Amino acid sequence: MKKIDFTLNGKQTILDVEDNETLLHALREKLDIKSVKEGCSIGECGACTVLIDNEPHYSCLTLASKVSGHDVKTVEFLGDENLLHPLQEAFITYGAVQCGYCTPGMLLAAYSLLLKNEHPTDTDIKEAISGNLCRCTGYIQIVEAIRNAAGLCKCNS
Amino acid sequence: MVGSNRKRIDVIDKVLGKPVFAGDMKADRLLFAVVYRSPRPHAWIKSIDVSEALAQPGIVKVITGEDIPGKKQFGVIKKDQPCLAEGRVRYVGEPILLIVGETENAARKAMSSVKIHFEDIEAIRDPFTAEKSGTLIHEDGNLLGHRKVIKGNVERGFAESDVIVEHTYSTTWLDHGFMETEAGVGYLDDAGRIVVVSSTQNIHYKMKEISRVLGISEDMVRVIQSTTGGGFGGKLDVTVELFLALAVYYTKRPVMMRFTREESFVSNTKRHPLYIEYKTGAKKDGSIQAVKVTIIGDTGPYISYGETVCLRVAVHSTGPYEVPNVHADSRMFYTNNPVCGAMRGFGVPQLAFAHESQMDAVARILNMDPLDIRLKNGLRKGSSTATSQILHDSVGFIDTLKKIEPFWRERKKSSHTSGFGIGCMFYGCGNTAISNPAKCHLRLTDDGKIALHSGVCEIGQGSDTILWQILLETLKIDEKNVVLVRGDTDTSSDVGSTSASRQTYISGKAVYEAARKLNRYLDEKGYYRGRSLGDICEEARTENNVIFDGYFDPPTTQLDMETSEGAPYATYAFATHMTEVEVDDKTGVCLVKRVHAAHDVGKAVNPRLVKGQVYGGVAMGIGLALMEEFIPGKSESLDNYYMPTSMDMPEIEVFIVEDEEPTGPFGAKGVGEPALIPQAASIINGIQDAVGVKPSQLPCHIERLKKLIEEKKSERRQEP
Amino acid sequence: MLPDFASVIPESKEDALAYLSSLKSAKIFAGGTDLLVKMRRGESYSHIVDITRIRDIKVISDHGETINIGALSTHYEISVNQIISEKALSLAQACGWVGSPAIRNMGTIGGNLVNASPAADSLAPLLIHDADVVLESKDGTRRMRLEDFILAPYKTDIQPHEILTFITIKGLPGYREGYKRVTKRAAWAISRLSIAWAIQEKGGFYKDVKLAIGSCTPMPFRPRKVEDSLKDRAKDEKTIQVAVGEIIDEIIKVSGMRPSFVYKIPVVKALLEDILKG
Repeated sequence: MKKIDFTLNGKQTILDVEDNETLLHALREKLDIKSVKEGCSIGECGACTVLIDNEPHYSCLTLASKVSGHDVKTVEFLGDENLLHPLQEAFITYGAVQCGYCTPGMLLAAYSLLLKNEHPTDTDIKEAISGNLCRCTGYIQIVEAIRNAAGLCKCNS
Repeated sequence: MVGSNRKRIDVIDKVLGKPVFAGDMKADRLLFAVVYRSPRPHAWIKSIDVSEALAQPGIVKVITGEDIPGKKQFGVIKKDQPCLAEGRVRYVGEPILLIVGETENAARKAMSSVKIHFEDIEAIRDPFTAEKSGTLIHEDGNLLGHRKVIKGNVERGFAESDVIVEHTYSTTWLDHGFMETEAGVGYLDDAGRIVVVSSTQNIHYKMKEISRVLGISEDMVRVIQSTTGGGFGGKLDVTVELFLALAVYYTKRPVMMRFTREESFVSNTKRHPLYIEYKTGAKKDGSIQAVKVTIIGDTGPYISYGETVCLRVAVHSTGPYEVPNVHADSRMFYTNNPVCGAMRGFGVPQLAFAHESQMDAVARILNMDPLDIRLKNGLRKGSSTATSQILHDSVGFIDTLKKIEPFWRERKKSSHTSGFGIGCMFYGCGNTAISNPAKCHLRLTDDGKIALHSGVCEIGQGSDTILWQILLETLKIDEKNVVLVRGDTDTSSDVGSTSASRQTYISGKAVYEAARKLNRYLDEKGYYRGRSLGDICEEARTENNVIFDGYFDPPTTQLDMETSEGAPYATYAFATHMTEVEVDDKTGVCLVKRVHAAHDVGKAVNPRLVKGQVYGGVAMGIGLALMEEFIPGKSESLDNYYMPTSMDMPEIEVFIVEDEEPTGPFGAKGVGEPALIPQAASIINGIQDAVGVKPSQLPCHIERLKKLIEEKKSERRQEP
Repeated sequence: MLPDFASVIPESKEDALAYLSSLKSAKIFAGGTDLLVKMRRGESYSHIVDITRIRDIKVISDHGETINIGALSTHYEISVNQIISEKALSLAQACGWVGSPAIRNMGTIGGNLVNASPAADSLAPLLIHDADVVLESKDGTRRMRLEDFILAPYKTDIQPHEILTFITIKGLPGYREGYKRVTKRAAWAISRLSIAWAIQEKGGFYKDVKLAIGSCTPMPFRPRKVEDSLKDRAKDEKTIQVAVGEIIDEIIKVSGMRPSFVYKIPVVKALLEDILKG
């Protein structure tokens, strides 16, 4: 058992985790953040993507004990019903969502990109989401959404 | 409303990560169940010892086939598949035991304590062996089904042909690869009924299976669809539902199941590997005179949708062309390979690969343009299909070709190894030659609203939004007055499965019919002259007049058992894809650079959703053409089964053709499967245009393609 | 489901080494991208030592002729590092192809080497940069050539109490350098084969050629004999043909004629010809 102290979506969070517990498990089962999805458990689908210090990581291959002292973000960080993030707005507008299972991870990968690159090319966008599988959309409308959100949002602010 | 890009009705929740998928559910005292599966492809079960497993910490119950109170077999077409195997297993992954534990870990750990003694039986690994072998997978033999389509006189057709082209094609197993693996939760409700909430494409079918297997009446079972993370046909068959029902039946506690990706891979049905011998005869002017197709399929050890695929591939074997003389012969054999079932297109994507390769081959011999030969032979109004069905309405195939034509005529190779290919398809919307109705109802609620009660399973494709748009368009009513009550056998009628590209067309029409009735009622009651809906609802209640049914069953006919003559579908979707590829002849890597896709959807209820289907279909078609190959025993998870990433995607331009289908809602028909069907074919034809080789096996991955390129080089060297 | 284990998370190298010398069946844990997959599939250890908090083995530093790469540097960090891009471009490129963006953020170069997959993207570039690995334990430090460190696929010379702390490579500024790999999917794929090269030419002559071919031999192959023979040779069609032919022969000599060579040999041949032509 380890006590971890980390920032989760902007809030300091202290939690007891098992030594062999993945961050995916801790988030879903202990912190009730069900938006982080399990798709394969071996880092080959991207459904469990979270941001650690604003970079995408697979929470299924991250031990929870490692995030102490770090900043962890899930899709809840981006927006809520009252104020959607421009990326979320764009995902809606451009039809970037079908079944929705990959969506939280996809949004986080996109958000991480826009933090570093306010004007990404389509290739930049495709690369940034290349670790997040989507079986429904063929990615086209996701890329469109990210491209259009990029002009609108200052993710840094 | 119809024809607009209305945003999906579930999308705000989805971008917030809020939808509750089955694996996200919570309950007090929730148990977890896992399935112990056969490690053997074909074996007698000599003994099962679960005593040690049962003694493991946290194990609540171990259920075997003997414990099943009702019918022991299930199946979507025929009831042939054991829920839990007894006495014999017929494929690797066949369920034998259900282990129910206090936690997922406890249940999974106990798996290693199960002791089963097997005695191997010869495993049949391909349909050709199945045909000849004395080892029978089922008592009746190894042939599941045999269907023929006979039209005209194929031998005469070949005799009258100037050129004959004959090739064989083969395809392999594919996994659906939905991002959410199979999952569900079962529990007892206050009335003691069995409730199963699961990721599924058909709630009513699953409710009926549970009632049969538990031996309880249907009104004692309720099935609810959880938010479903993709289906593609893989959540049509029973996955977790019967296990959950059994576990709840015995433990009386809530139970969850969630397949690991490995378990999903080993247990889920697969796309049928098909071996296709294809012979085409044509006149010098390019008119196709005769088509003879022999199809042999590997269906695995149980039927699932094997019969459906067997017939559908025969019916679609000519592709979207009018052929006067047809002989298609389709046989499905049992093997000890994975169970094959429904996967987006029911075998037609495999056939499209064959018939489109043939069209190009004929065009090449005749020195004809691939687009011209398709324009010449394409189905149009008044054409007769292979089953001699005369197409009267909504035959937009030629229009799809015409949409592509300018890009085709102006195509320019960007390098000496780039190329362009065309792929076309037609696809019957709805189930083949059987009644497949949808039923829904509208209700005026106590709080003055209109509730649409729908049993349609939204699996990500957008059917809820489509039904919503059809309803609002028909009623001419503001959407804040409408609520959707969905995905629950308690509150909805059977609409049939979310499959066969049928929900927009069939369930959409049922919604339209119900809405028309309500529309007339509202009109009578003065709604459109300003009377409030609340008022009308109030009055309706006193008149006991609050329910308005909608029903639609597409008009089809049964097919002749020998020739398959008849009208198996009420309407067909049509499409043409043109794909530009760039082949690296040094490495065998084929990049898909650009796709132009034209689809006759009758009427695009929501063009953005139509495009979403096409984009997704192109992605899956790239997988089918170039990389996806499920190898039993080797493809364990997503690290050795590659599906396309964003980096594999081309630019795609979608053209929507709207040749309205008179029986469809506002003229609409389906697009879900058509989106995929022609894509692989167009890539393969593009490869041939690029490097002059003819792939005959899917996927045409880098090694196969390089081999073809090398063979061609050495042929050239041998030429004098 | 991961097997049970206890973890320790030392803050310094000294603490980590102390743990390693005292624990039985301990496994070093860095990025976790290989190890957790293996553990999920049945490998088990009583303890893991999570070394990711040891700051000083995460840095990349320039020492003139050589570059020191901390073993905890992630693939992403290496792929965008200025020093690496200038003096070891093939390594930056290779690390930029590993897995996916998330895998590159998580996986470390040290972990990649200790895992010793023959398809690991970093191996071929490291070989042409004559990489050494530095292994530290409580008893001292040893340095060995990467080629000697990797004994066989998935097997290295690391001892249970050792940590791979640094990788030292020789910079090759001014070389025509690159990394090419072939995969079944455009991204996020295991390399079916790969080639790293660094070539120095002058006035139509090869001055120095370094090549490493991955995924054909148990360990990426450095055709040193051919590299030597190319020195001061005129860069022409014939020289290239002969050199490539010899490399192919050597690969077959090392591995025997594998079934996969039906594919790989013609591809390697074509790619090497392109690379030598430049």
